Amino acid sequence: MGNMGLLDLPRLGRGAVNIGRFAADLFPPNVSVLPTVAVAIVETLQIAFVGTLLGFAAALPLALIATPTLFGPAITGPARLALAVVRTIPSLFWGIIFVVAVGLGPAAGTLGIALYSLGYLGKLFYEIFEGVDPEVLEAVRAVGCNRLQLARYALLPEAANNLLAQLLFMFEYNVRASSIMGFVGAGGIGFYLLGYIQMLQYDRLMTALVATLVVVIAIDQISARVRRLVLVPTSLGAPA
Amino acid sequence: MAGEITMIVGPSGSGKTSLLKLAKGLLRPQRGTIEVMGAPLPRVSVRDSLDPRVAYIPQQLGLVRNLSVLDNVLSGALARVDAALSLLKLFPTDCLEEAGATIKSLGIGHKANEKLYALSGGERQRVAIARALMQQPRLILADEFMSQLDRVTSREIMRIMQGIADRGVAVVVTTHELEIVGRSSDRVVVLRDGEKVLDTDAASVGVDDLETVIRG
Repeated sequence: MGNMGLLDLPRLGRGAVNIGRFAADLFPPNVSVLPTVAVAIVETLQIAFVGTLLGFAAALPLALIATPTLFGPAITGPARLALAVVRTIPSLFWGIIFVVAVGLGPAAGTLGIALYSLGYLGKLFYEIFEGVDPEVLEAVRAVGCNRLQLARYALLPEAANNLLAQLLFMFEYNVRASSIMGFVGAGGIGFYLLGYIQMLQYDRLMTALVATLVVVIAIDQISARVRRLVLVPTSLGAPA
Repeated sequence: MAGEITMIVGPSGSGKTSLLKLAKGLLRPQRGTIEVMGAPLPRVSVRDSLDPRVAYIPQQLGLVRNLSVLDNVLSGALARVDAALSLLKLFPTDCLEEAGATIKSLGIGHKANEKLYALSGGERQRVAIARALMQQPRLILADEFMSQLDRVTSREIMRIMQGIADRGVAVVVTTHELEIVGRSSDRVVVLRDGEKVLDTDAASVGVDDLETVIRG
């Protein structure tokens, strides 16, 4: 802790004072930037939504390929390794890579979110597939179906609840991740957040932060409702 | 034997479930060979397709809770329909009609579009039987699949199985309930510690005799 400066009390004291000054400069928030912030937040949500969708579309087949129920180790091994490599790179760094590749703007941010989601969802999904009730898989396999049919008629429907729950969680996470993509020029509200900090326009920063917070909370609430509406009971219960 | 109901009884851990899984090809024997319907069972990997002529109903039925009754039943025909079209849930008309007729004959026609969690235990048993019948099997292996049913429902289910056997299908059921052996089966096999200790006509042994053999 000493090496990290956390035992340097005078420094911590100065830090507390600085936080106080910073907090004072945030208020009152400058609402004149609300229209600009609103447009940027919509772009952030688009980045998160499309990025999550693209990541999901790629993660699902890759997760099936990485599932030992369907394929042997010669196939599942490389698939899992690929997902691990993709997942290791944070979404912000993927954003930088795609800014270099496709230029500044939301396209880079969307691709960055998509790649990170692919790695993260891919792993979550194959772990979900591994946890499917083996008796159900045995029973459906017993009808004489092939692997793809086993996936379609047993693995995917049995895992559907958990897949959807993880997808919603990924979207909620990606809204937060997308909000800072603008730090690296990859679109969204992050561009304005960074700009306001660098220009010392803390009152405008406060407006952007509050607007972002409201949207994130709203997304969480909507996501919770979707779960309640769509997710089916997880247990068949005792026979009547 | 075709058209016969055989009940396999024995204490827990005697190998009843293992025997059925070996016969279905879900387990590989450590040594020796297994013959089913007069032919040796081919050794398949855990990911290869299994013989659809042998239907298997596990203890907890193995039904897919997020699929409707009809979809669960249709999955029994997966081995004999076009694989690519089945992925799009496109089944031949005759297959759909067969599934509908099978569900109706088992008294759950009105539940065809319901999801599994809306059904009672007895209704789920019937769905499992319907799925097995869609395989057009020559042999049905059912593992303790009446263990959670009340006596009345058990009798109804065994009447259904008797009807299936009358059509020439061989039925093998494992059970703990010795009382139903005499009235619901043609043959009884007793397992103890993985060995067959009795194989005889079901009508020739009573419950007490079976208990004696099981205890050893």
